[in-house]
Amino acid sequence: MSDFGGLQIDVGGVVLDSPVIIASGVWPMDPSMWPEASLKGIGAICSKGTTLEPREGNRGKRICETHCGLLNSIGLQNGGSVSFVQNDLPALASSGKPVIANIAFETLEELRQIIERLNSERDLIGALEMNVSCPNVSMGGMSWGVDMDSLERAVTEARCKWRGPLWVKLSPQAPSIAVAARICEASGAQAIVVGNTWLGMAIDNDREEPFFERIFAGLSGPAIFPLSLRLIWEAVASVNIPVVGCGGICGPDEALSMFLAGASAVAVGTGLFLDSSLPVSICFKLSRHMENRAIANIKDLVGRGRHFRGETGVAG
Amino acid sequence: MMNQLLTGPHKPPIDLKGSLVFSEAVASGCRYVRIKTDLTIPASSPGQFFLLRESRVSDPLLGRPFASINASRNSVDFLFRVVGRGTEILASLPPGTRVDLRGPCGNGFPVPRSRRLILVAGTLGIAPFFDAALRYGSTQEIITILGVPGHEWREFAGWCKERIPDIRIVSDDGKIGNSGTAVEEAVSMFRSEDEVWACGPIPMLKNIGILHSAGCERLFVSIEKRMACGMGGCLGCSLQTCSGTVRACVEGPVLEWKEVLWNE
Ligand SMILES: Cc1cc2nc3c(=O)[nH]c(=O)nc-3n(C[C@H](O)[C@H](O)[C@H](O)COP(=O)(O)OP(=O)(O)OC[C@H]3O[C@@H](n4cnc5c(N)ncnc54)[C@H](O)[C@@H]3O)c2cc1C
Ligand SMILES: Cc1cc2nc3c(=O)[nH]c(=O)nc-3n(C[C@H](O)[C@H](O)[C@H](O)COP(=O)(O)O)c2cc1C
Ligand code: FES
Repeated sequence: MSDFGGLQIDVGGVVLDSPVIIASGVWPMDPSMWPEASLKGIGAICSKGTTLEPREGNRGKRICETHCGLLNSIGLQNGGSVSFVQNDLPALASSGKPVIANIAFETLEELRQIIERLNSERDLIGALEMNVSCPNVSMGGMSWGVDMDSLERAVTEARCKWRGPLWVKLSPQAPSIAVAARICEASGAQAIVVGNTWLGMAIDNDREEPFFERIFAGLSGPAIFPLSLRLIWEAVASVNIPVVGCGGICGPDEALSMFLAGASAVAVGTGLFLDSSLPVSICFKLSRHMENRAIANIKDLVGRGRHFRGETGVAG
Repeated sequence: MMNQLLTGPHKPPIDLKGSLVFSEAVASGCRYVRIKTDLTIPASSPGQFFLLRESRVSDPLLGRPFASINASRNSVDFLFRVVGRGTEILASLPPGTRVDLRGPCGNGFPVPRSRRLILVAGTLGIAPFFDAALRYGSTQEIITILGVPGHEWREFAGWCKERIPDIRIVSDDGKIGNSGTAVEEAVSMFRSEDEVWACGPIPMLKNIGILHSAGCERLFVSIEKRMACGMGGCLGCSLQTCSGTVRACVEGPVLEWKEVLWNE
């Protein structure tokens, strides 16, 4: 049962009681570590990116605060797909929230094998979320989400093997988000998440060297919000499947803007580092805004900001 | 994991709002602040910490981790040193400023089992030990050792001595208290049945391992890592140990000395 009337929405085959999703990689995988205040308002939880085999993650410093933002170089530290299915997945599912299983892969063979493992626990998974920001090893390390041929191959392969709802989490580094979104839709994705962190870097001026061992790192937080919003705007205009808005949402107002731009749900990451009650604050804001305008269902809020000057290009 | 065994099941931290009640300069670029919270602060143990940030501000973005030096139902005190942008801004906030707190985070030191407890601090590493000295002073014999670099820390050392009157102070240049390091002082005091807790810079924590070789069976260190979420979600604070990778904000910051891979 939804705590907030009118906020329930079907996003690419997953029914969410609230349209606020916990983004991948920011929240403990063990629900006993979730502050009570955060539980209300969460519509679904994305798991930390799972790879086929366990990964230790990156050495050296992993986080660096920037002006209004956060650079991270975690390096997909995770226990691998076997441990995910045995430990994390049942734990996450015990929260009662739909689990969005976020996966990362470097080859199509890895992708196939991860999906095979996840298919065995299909019932515990709301949707599979493909993180395509990782390198495609056979393409010389260029990320799947940046090379459109790789993207098409990966999504097609996943659609063919995965038995449940399929979401793709796009990279802001894609040369055109509209093209990437269309490729995902045409290849069988039921929703796209726009997007992941923006590639950035920091230099340690005292040491006169890059701050991170891997030089580049992913930027998240309020600094990227306007960039993300623009991507949502472009993506929504180009596809008919739902778009989940993600990137820099640290307060209810930004979340509302995402819906007005056409997002069917939002995912929050860095904002939770500041306030674990962000999901419920977003729900209150959406409810109030809808009430004031006599909007009964969140579906009718989606894309309302696009009706200016006659534009109606809202998909989904 | 080993520290879970020591401290029992983890409780998630909670987010609290509060106001800065006072903010006093303590010499050596340090600040003593008190936060009064709107809601009750869950009970914490020495070595646990809070993330502190100014409310509704996006720059600096993240809370900074500080050990509580004293906490009651509705107020918590911190002692911190200005080392960069975040602490500089926190130090400049006037009383009345609204702040966000997340905590208590981490495991904290385990309840001491030995009759005598030696607390070894390098400069600001003293922070968690005010609470420890107060809490266990009536049940344990406690020896607190503070090591500082030199004379420029005189006022800071005096401030600590006001709160822990029998604190033993040592300095590298011998200008305050005895000459020497906190580790050397700890070694000179150590008896094999003592329990030892240490907090301070990494080289000092590594060196305290000499007590492990000397037979100390309960030797705990509090390790500092950069943190973002403070509750085990982001894996920004990961640390290599003999038992695998752990999160300094959940399985730590307090670890058994022998568990830490010091050369990583
Ligand atoms: C569990 C824990 C408890 C702590 N308790 C106290 C305390 O009671 N009193 C106190 O003065 N300090 C304490 N610290 C250290 C304090 O959190 C940092 O000094 C502070 O976050 C630096 O913020 P900044 O923006 O000023 O530094 P930055 O500008 O980010 O960096 C300046 C310098 O501080 C170092 N630094 C940055 N973040 C940390 C960090 N999280 N831990 C250690 N060094 C860091 C950097 O490597 C750099 O050398 C604690 C840290 C941890 C992890
Ligand atoms: C510490 C950290 C770890 C992350 N790990 C993952 C991950 O494993 N998989 C993934 O798809 N995205 C990961 N992300 C990206 C977030 O899910 C989110 O897309 C991004 O941070 C932008 O949203 P935000 O500004 O709300 O944080 C991570 C982000 C952060 C800050
Ligand atoms: S600070 Fe996020 S896991 Fe420790």
